Amino acid sequence: MRIKDIINFLKQPKIFVFAIIWMMMLVVLGTLAQKDMGLYTAQNRYFSAWITWFWFVPMPGGRLTLVIILINLSFFFFKKSIWKIKKLGIVILHLGGILLLVGGGLTAMFSSEGNMVIEEGAQSNHVEDYHFMELAIINTSAVNFDEFTIFDQPLLKRNQVLAHANLNFEIEILNYLENCEPTKRTSPAGIQYKGMLKNFILNELKPEKEDNWNRPGMIYKISNSGTNADGMYGIFLGQSISQTVSVNDKDYTIILRRKRTYLPFSIELLDFKKILHPGTDIPKSYSSDINLIENGVVRKILIQMNEPLRHKGYTFFQSSFIEGPNSETTVLAVVKNYGRLFPYISSIIMCIGLLFHLSQKLPDLFRKSKEKIAV
Amino acid sequence: MKIHNLTLSFIILLCGILLPRDFDHRDIPIHENGRIKPLDTFVRNQLLLIYGKRSIKPKALPEELNSKGLSAIDWFFDIALNPDEGDKYRVFNISNPEVVASLGLYWDPSHLYNRKEILSGLKNQIDYITTIQGKPGAELTQFDTHMLKVYSNVIQYQTLSYSLSCLLPLIQINHKTIAQSLSVNPGDKLSYYQLMRKANQLSPLMERLLNQDKDEWSESDYELQHIMGILNEIDQDKFARILKIIPPESGNQNEEWQSPWELMESRMIGPNQEKLLITLESFLKSRIDKDTVKSDSVLAEYENLLSHSFNGLSNLTNVKLETWTNQANLFYKSIAFYILAFLLLVISWMTKPKLLRRISFACLLSGLAFHFYGILLRIIIMQRPPVSTLYESILFVSLIGVICASLLEYNRKDGMGIFMGAIVGGVLHFVGLGYANDGDTLGMLVAVLNSNFWLATHVTTITIGYGTSLFAGVLGHVYLLQTIRTPFDKKYLKTVNANVYGATLFALFFTLFGTILGGIWADQSWGRFWGWDPKENGALLIVMWQIMMLHLRITGFVKPMGFALGMILNNIVVILAWFGVNLLGVGLHSYGFATGIAINISLFIAFELITGIGTYYWAKNRQKQLTAY
Repeated sequence: MRIKDIINFLKQPKIFVFAIIWMMMLVVLGTLAQKDMGLYTAQNRYFSAWITWFWFVPMPGGRLTLVIILINLSFFFFKKSIWKIKKLGIVILHLGGILLLVGGGLTAMFSSEGNMVIEEGAQSNHVEDYHFMELAIINTSAVNFDEFTIFDQPLLKRNQVLAHANLNFEIEILNYLENCEPTKRTSPAGIQYKGMLKNFILNELKPEKEDNWNRPGMIYKISNSGTNADGMYGIFLGQSISQTVSVNDKDYTIILRRKRTYLPFSIELLDFKKILHPGTDIPKSYSSDINLIENGVVRKILIQMNEPLRHKGYTFFQSSFIEGPNSETTVLAVVKNYGRLFPYISSIIMCIGLLFHLSQKLPDLFRKSKEKIAV
Repeated sequence: MKIHNLTLSFIILLCGILLPRDFDHRDIPIHENGRIKPLDTFVRNQLLLIYGKRSIKPKALPEELNSKGLSAIDWFFDIALNPDEGDKYRVFNISNPEVVASLGLYWDPSHLYNRKEILSGLKNQIDYITTIQGKPGAELTQFDTHMLKVYSNVIQYQTLSYSLSCLLPLIQINHKTIAQSLSVNPGDKLSYYQLMRKANQLSPLMERLLNQDKDEWSESDYELQHIMGILNEIDQDKFARILKIIPPESGNQNEEWQSPWELMESRMIGPNQEKLLITLESFLKSRIDKDTVKSDSVLAEYENLLSHSFNGLSNLTNVKLETWTNQANLFYKSIAFYILAFLLLVISWMTKPKLLRRISFACLLSGLAFHFYGILLRIIIMQRPPVSTLYESILFVSLIGVICASLLEYNRKDGMGIFMGAIVGGVLHFVGLGYANDGDTLGMLVAVLNSNFWLATHVTTITIGYGTSLFAGVLGHVYLLQTIRTPFDKKYLKTVNANVYGATLFALFFTLFGTILGGIWADQSWGRFWGWDPKENGALLIVMWQIMMLHLRITGFVKPMGFALGMILNNIVVILAWFGVNLLGVGLHSYGFATGIAINISLFIAFELITGIGTYYWAKNRQKQLTAY
């Protein structure tokens, strides 16, 4: 009988009422917060969080609230009173709601997104993450190949020591900066400083409102190389001259870059086109003429606003562009989302359910009133 | 009888587009802000910019004219044909007393000044204007912005005045020799462009002039020099390149159109462009000569040229339709009918209820017909779905509100629907008219919005959702008011309560699918279904609020009166989602930002809170009193 009690408790619409009121609060707060903290931070704090902290009080975050709603919604089907033709519309509607929430969950858990930046005439086979960085150490000593050693974002934090069999030295991260700016040194540097740090220092800046406007940087120490490569180095995102070190006849290039995900195919940008409404600055359309190259087979495709390319689970959207002096660079947003069909299916189901319900209810609710008003 | 009236008025309206109308000077197509529009629209908006209205009222006209007003197009042709006589119109509207004072002008209670006054006033301020022009917008004081506006308005006025001067017959040829070499009759007047076309016929005379001493100059040489002087003078007008009425020779729709002065300067005039310019030239001449027969035939030729050359670039049917729409003022007519319907309804409460209510309903429906027709014409002209800007969303929401109200009235036949329809239609129309005064309401759209499919599905559905939600909210008001009025009539109140509930379900259908469709559009064009963008959250809040109200009702947390109050408060959510998110200034949907909107939103919220909660407690009290007895 205890299970029954639990079911009876969980199927109460009261739970839904409280949960949705709380969710509305979160949406309002999270929307207002975007003005100050930017979308990414607000989203992490209010919407995708399990727990949202109000000062020191833990409250359910958006994700937990939606899970509660999903559980409550699932137990709705344990109600005996709903299994009637009259309630069919309502049942279908709630089923659609469940699918929508499940799809949202799948997307939140498993989807990934990033950018692919290609200059006209160039090719790319990787996606750059919006938020995460990676430290790439490239051994360029071999004649016909490069050896890459990558350290992922979770490893990039203060006091972390990075070592790998590929490397005959160790890297100790002395400081990791979310956002920084290189500025010229005013006084001569000590002998422990190498590379860029001989002439520059990295100034820590307040993180920007939007996470991807930040320029992360890092101060690190190379040690145990047994050569004069040992010392303190600096690095930041988008550094124009990469740091190189030589240790025992091996040359390494060290780069801090956006985390890359490699694709099983590559894309070549043939031409980027931007068309304005004539006589105005209002863009009429953006489009990229590309070659999709897979196993040596080339296919020509046009990607434009509202018409993305879908291939192997990835979707490529025309997102932005960079205008250069000689050529243009296209920025494609790349998304892999396993839940993307759910909203389509669930909206159709909910539509059917609500229409069914409306067709039963509305005639009753707007029945012609024969009674005259008593004045 | 009323049905007949309605049908008749609709037929008259339809004739407006069905009967082919001759092409006239208002229809001359012009390219501005990425769109081909009739000259009529263009000059109306120019006048709106300078004067604040779309046609000139008698106050701004010279007294001796003694006329009842002047249309924008007539004003334009007058100043363009007589550029030097543009001082007679007092169309510069300056309402800032500081600006008036610093321009050295007397304070005019109607705030109207003419070009001469402004120009002489500005002479002393040029240094100041140059300094403030370089400043960023945020640093400007209110005085500065007004000053800059006056300055740019007077430049605009000059640009308009001189935009056709290269085509006007301003150069008189008197001497026989010159007339002969130009193959015209002595005494004829030529335009700058005509003379330029015949420039090589004059070159032998010119050569002689240059190779001769001034003492040996003949009469014809002096006249030639004089002509050159005039040409040089007219050449100063080449800054006036605003009137982009000549299509590109190639007929390429992504190429910009050009103004007569731009063509004069580029000297790259294609054969079709040349024909068009010559026709325009003879049109202007016939207007100066007041030769209406000639001007009609020339315009017919102009239309012919436009539609048969340039790859059929300009769709003249739509251009003509737009001119017709401009002068039809359909939305003023619909608002008038809504107000009339309301007044008749109020009178019907006092006398002759049945008859007056019927007439009032007919008025509401006539208003609806004009309203609908106005929106339909915009769809045809722009060839895109009804809602793509904030202004259009207001028009459309009020249309939906009035349609819902009319259906309700058709069902109930007790005046309730008329009451609601007149209020929703009237109030939203007023708000919309405020937006229309910002300029051309038919603008082009940025790339991501440039998709008729999604505009038609997502935007239309969510806007219908706003309309039906507001309708449900107004019904909530009605329920509470009726509870106060007739707390004893349980049966009647029950029907109204059922209406509120039904309207909520109906609204939920559109808000829910509008929101989901929006997510699907976002998935199609940005790759994510949901991004927690403010506008998306706003729509989500409406949906959640409505779902919450429905479940509060099921769980018994709220009774009919509470439900009505909840739907009144839903209006606040709708307005915040609709206008409020633009105030945040973040997110992908911050189009149509308008300053000063914050005050109106706050007023609306205060109104709904006070009336909603106030009537709720009043109604509760009334019921308590009733049960006490």
